[in-house]
Formats: sequence, C-alpha cells, structure tokens
Amino acid sequence: MASPLILLPGDEVPSEYLPSSNSAPLRLGAGLRLLSQPSAISPSHVISATQPGLLSTDNKRNAVSILSTPNRRYVPTPGDLVIAQIHHSSPDYFHCMITPQAPQALLGQLSFEGATKKTRPMLKQGDLVYARVLSTGLGAGAEVELTCVNPATGRADGGLGPLTGGMVFDVSTGLAARLIKASSSSGEQQDGVAGLVVLDELGKKLEKAGGFEIAVGRNGKVWVDCANGGDYAVKATVAIGRCLSTIDEHELSSTDQRKLVTRILRDMKIES
Amino acid sequence: MVGPTASLTPLSRADGSASYQCPSTGSNILGSVNAPIELPGRRDALKPEDATVEVFVKPGTAPGGVGERYVEGIIKNMLGKLILGREKGYARRGVVITLAIVGGESVARGDSYLTLLPALLHTSLLALLSASVPLSMTYSATVLAVDASGEITREPSVKEAAAAVSLHVFAFSSNGHLLLNESEGPFDFETWEKVHQRALAICHGTVARSSDGDVAMAEDVDGQPLEGALREAMEEKIQQDYSWKIDAA
Repeated sequence: MASPLILLPGDEVPSEYLPSSNSAPLRLGAGLRLLSQPSAISPSHVISATQPGLLSTDNKRNAVSILSTPNRRYVPTPGDLVIAQIHHSSPDYFHCMITPQAPQALLGQLSFEGATKKTRPMLKQGDLVYARVLSTGLGAGAEVELTCVNPATGRADGGLGPLTGGMVFDVSTGLAARLIKASSSSGEQQDGVAGLVVLDELGKKLEKAGGFEIAVGRNGKVWVDCANGGDYAVKATVAIGRCLSTIDEHELSSTDQRKLVTRILRDMKIES
Repeated sequence: MVGPTASLTPLSRADGSASYQCPSTGSNILGSVNAPIELPGRRDALKPEDATVEVFVKPGTAPGGVGERYVEGIIKNMLGKLILGREKGYARRGVVITLAIVGGESVARGDSYLTLLPALLHTSLLALLSASVPLSMTYSATVLAVDASGEITREPSVKEAAAAVSLHVFAFSSNGHLLLNESEGPFDFETWEKVHQRALAICHGTVARSSDGDVAMAEDVDGQPLEGALREAMEEKIQQDYSWKIDAA
C-alpha cells in the first residue's frame, strides 16, 4: 500500500495508485473523471480529480474514488438508510423531514411491512421512522420517496419501520457513514472498523445496564434507545449521545475513544 | 514575505466555508458556499443543462455598491468556467457564493477594488473546495501595483494602490495557465510582460519544470508560492478529517 494520496481538483491520479488487476474494467467513483489528452502521436487518457480529498481504492471491486470533506450537507441518494421525522400525514403519504433545510420527502402510507388499508401504522407528527431512500427523482424540485419495506420481498430488512422511544442525536454525515460501515462489517478487529471502537466499547460496558439499541441514518442522525435499562435508561442514552458527539468534534484514536467511554460513564454514575 | 493564513470550514451550517487573511493588504475575508441548492423561480431558462453560479460580495460596514457589483461580475465569470455545472445533481441548481469582507482597510467609494480581488478569489476557491463542488482545476491569484518609476509592489495596501500608476490582477490555474487578467491605469506592453512574469513567480514560484511535467516549487524573494500555500491549507484539513483512515493505513 502506497502512502495516502491527497488530490485537489485538476490533479491527475498517478497510475501506480490505481488498482492493478486488469481483468475487470476500472470503475470511477465520485470525484473523478476521465479526460483524454489530445496528442499528435498517441492520444492517451488521464484520470483527473474534480473534488479535493483522499484517494481511496478498492482492489476487490477494481474501483477508485475520492473521499471528500466529511461535513457535507446530506444529499439523498437511492438506497441510503435515513432516520426521518413525520411532519404531517395526507391520505396517501406521510410527509417526512430528512434534513430540516431540504424539501419534505414522501413515505407511502402502505410502504411498511405487512401494511394494508386497515393495518397501516398510525404515525403522528414528530414520530420517527427508519427508512430507505427509494428514489430521488430527476431535476430541480423533484420529490424524494422513502420506503420502510424492501419492495422486492415485502419484508422490513435491517430494522426498517417506526422507531418508538429512545432519542435522536445529530452527528456529522461523515461520522454517520463511518458508524454504518463499522456496524455493517462485524469483523473482530483490534482497532475497530473505520477507526471506531466506541460502539463495541459501550456495548461491553453497558451490558449489565441492559444494553442498548442504535440506528444510524446517513442523514447524520443517530437514534439510541435503552429500553431495558430500568433506572439507568435515560442516563445511558445521554451517555451514548455524549460519546458520539465528542468523537464527532475531536478526532480520537481508539485508545482515546475507550478512555472517553470510561470517563463519560463514570461522570454519569453508570455502573459497568 | 509572510504567507496568507487560511482556515477551512469555520461555519458549521454552510455547505462549505473558508476564512482567508492576506498579510500584506490586510484584507480578511469570510466566504461561504451553498451548493447544490434549489433556486427560487426559474433562472435556468438560458442554460438548462448547467448550474447557475451566483456571487455576493458584502462589505463589512457599508452597504454594497458599484464596486462590489463589479468584482462580483469578474468572480462569477471566472468561476462559471471552472465549476463543473454539468456534474450529477448540479444541472439547473445553484452554486451560491457569499463573500463577506470582515477586516482590513475598507475600500472607499471610488477606490479601486482590484486590491481585494485576489483575496476574494482565494476565499471563494477554498470555500468551494470545502463544499466539495466539482471543479476542473484550482487557481491562485495576486495583485501587483506599478508606480511612476516602474517599480512593482506585490499586494499593495489601499494607500499604495491609490498612489500607483497601474494595477494588475492575475490568476493562474494549477497548470500555470493565465486565467484572469484585470488591469487598471495606463501601462505599456513591456510593463505588462514584466508584471506578468512577476505574478507567475509569486503564484507558482520560479518555475522549474522537469521532464516529466512536475513543477518544482522553489522558494525565493516572494516566499512560498501561493499555489503551494493554498494546497497546504486544503491538504492539512483533509489530513485532519481523515486521520482515522490515514493512521490505520
């Protein structure tokens, strides 16, 4: 692995950084484009960056992309898991807020697991749902549509549906993406996936207090619930939220994350 | 020569922002970029496949006037060519750049606005980078004043600029191509050539191109080339944001 490469718009990607396997065609991800260099003798192609960021390569998929600044505003893309809040309800749709500054997204009244006209969930204003972005439409003023079931199977895969109880914390979209990555790949690594050990550590420490449930939305929202916590439920929820927002603000190494968890749990007087 | 100081993403609510301070002119600019956003009304009728770039320059203390509209036009024209408005999600949407002059000597009515132009350009570049707006290239800019005896002053203050015979603003792309050339006052071709050479040296250092096209950035009387200073500011920010990934590798 060569040293990490940071590119600015207009920089060319050196060929030694590209994945070397020649069998599959190279996939270009976000922030890169292919330019042809007109030359009289041999016209050649260069891959140049359009966004500033860290070059990331995936040898398995033969893909290369640019990781850009992590604190961006959330822009919905089909397939993303988000935590949305119901704004109001109309005969066919729930109108949901994904981010406060974006136009409202639509969630069908019947796009829940096993929902029919008679058994659909009655969601009120302010209720939370864990949903997947179904489509974003084309062009300006297009409506974003959400769904709480997998349209192919009719099942709510991955805990989609209304979120009851608990509390939502705001984090940056970058940290949300890291949390999703860390929770989706459950490999036992010493340093954790994507540099995050905080959830594993909290899980270990809070086991005695009843454990916790967590849902991470790409739109920078984290829902935490400690329903089994008994007396500690509120304290533990707040402690988890504090851990996440501190990690969001300061870049912490895995040892520092462990120390932070211990300190916050002690400050909140939660036995572990 | 002390280099400029820049910080990225000082504002948390904007999509991208930057603050930039130029030590010699003393100008201090705070810039924010919001993109892609839905524009009110239909301003896309002329170019339906492209993004609309809007630039606003706000003076710190006075209401905006003719001078601000003038530089807004220059910045908008230049950035409109650099921003890749046909990328996914940008067509028919807006890229709004707001530049606030928060410090430094204020430009009085009727004074030249060219002294502020490089700082405004640098701030908008850094803010665009921080918002990850797709760009075809980066650039650096500088302003030079030529006085009656033909002496060139780099980045003059408002007083020096008022005493100068001609003022020149140059912007160079990251490949070293001339992007912008704004001049004010009487001058001849010979002066322009001299000023152009000096500006290129300030932005890119005394260019020593090796055979493989790499540009070696050398330090000389002008200190670190501006191109390098801007790049360093951006790289530092990315290093910081991705330290979890870079350290693990």
